[in-house]
Amino acid sequence: MEIRFGSVLLAALLLSGCSWLHRADQTGPTPVVAEEPQAEPSIVEPQVERRVVKTPKIKARDFELGAYFGALSIEDFGTNPLYGLRAAYHVTEDVFLEGFVARSKAGLSSLEETFPEITVISSTGRRFTYYDLDVGYNVLPGEIFLGRGHAFNSQLYVLVGMGDVKFADKDQFALNFGVGERLLMTDWLALHLDVRDHVFESDLFGVTKNVHNVEATLGFTVFY
Amino acid sequence: MRRLLAMVLMLQAVCVGTAFAAKQYLELVVIQPYLEMHTGPGRGYPVFYVIGRGETLTVLYSRTDWYRVRAPRGQEGWVRRDDLAATELASGEPAPIPPYPNFATHRWELGAGYGVYNRENLVTTFVDFGLTDSLDAELALQQAFGTIDNRNIATVGLRNTIVPEWRWFSPTIGIGGGYQSVSDKVPPAPLQKSNELAYASVGARGFITQRFMWRIDWRAYVVFNKLNTSEVLEEWKFGLAVFF
Repeated sequence: MEIRFGSVLLAALLLSGCSWLHRADQTGPTPVVAEEPQAEPSIVEPQVERRVVKTPKIKARDFELGAYFGALSIEDFGTNPLYGLRAAYHVTEDVFLEGFVARSKAGLSSLEETFPEITVISSTGRRFTYYDLDVGYNVLPGEIFLGRGHAFNSQLYVLVGMGDVKFADKDQFALNFGVGERLLMTDWLALHLDVRDHVFESDLFGVTKNVHNVEATLGFTVFY
Repeated sequence: MRRLLAMVLMLQAVCVGTAFAAKQYLELVVIQPYLEMHTGPGRGYPVFYVIGRGETLTVLYSRTDWYRVRAPRGQEGWVRRDDLAATELASGEPAPIPPYPNFATHRWELGAGYGVYNRENLVTTFVDFGLTDSLDAELALQQAFGTIDNRNIATVGLRNTIVPEWRWFSPTIGIGGGYQSVSDKVPPAPLQKSNELAYASVGARGFITQRFMWRIDWRAYVVFNKLNTSEVLEEWKFGLAVFF
């Protein structure tokens, strides 16, 4: 009985001793392994170079450039063809800044038609050229439908600005205001219909007055 | 000859092909639940398509605060700037949407305005180049319409924005010089057709929207002429400007 008890105790001791040994196996060599990379310099240098990733830039297409033609009614001098160029910068979805340059040629005034011997302005003075710097606001943006299958984006806008009108060999400060419709055929090509009035002071007929020169034009522009 | 033409055409086709292939667009991954695509670049245009989370879109170009994008299945539409800024690159970095400009980060500024020069109507255009955070080089081309004469004025100067961090109202001071040419409207002709001039200016500027600014300037000019006394003129102007 005593021998059996003693052998069990011995076995238990042995087992516990083994477990201690085992634990020593676990804890003992671990620090050595862990210290190894810190203590010694690494043998293999990494050959991989850091890749420089270049993200493509997003192109801004805020500019609009184009040409227009139409009719300009020059007060007292009849309605005449007009040709011009326009360039706009879109600041927000509502506001844009636009510049115009255009040229027309005045016809005869009713006075000159009635009395052919009278000349109010010389032939070089009949040239009507202007530049305008305008602020525009897209008042009514929307879509226009053509049948069932096509929808075009469009904006009805108002314009106000100022510039120079050269008429009768004189540069005049002129205000202009108007309304227009931009119809986007594609996302980069637009059709414009505009009506604008150029107002300036004139004393060609002896009395100083504000003259109104209304133009109606059709134009094409591209966004880039 | 025909063979040569065919070869040239083929070469051109290859060149054009590689040029198109070389065009790289930004690709972004949607991380929000969905991304709305509008039919036009404006708040009122309807949403016609939605890109789901985890899908990759291609950014084609921008117009004002809207971005033209292509969905994975080829649909093209417009995405609002703030929505696109919430997406990520494939690497997990935030989308590289350029920040809104400010006085300290911008370089080019372009604008136009109305003014009064020597009690005459004035049309002004200007372009500025930022030399430092607060110092700009400024070129102004102006046309003044008087009752007796017209003047074309070109000036170059320096302008300092005193506190560039102030966004909505920021005072400025400046100096510069230039040239004016005078053309008479009614006789007699002016004594001098052109003059050199110098100016000092005080003004202010501020943002109206994220990219759009107002400017107001008062300038005192000294116009150098052949008489014993120089002419001193005043100018007021108000303008609108944008950053590039």
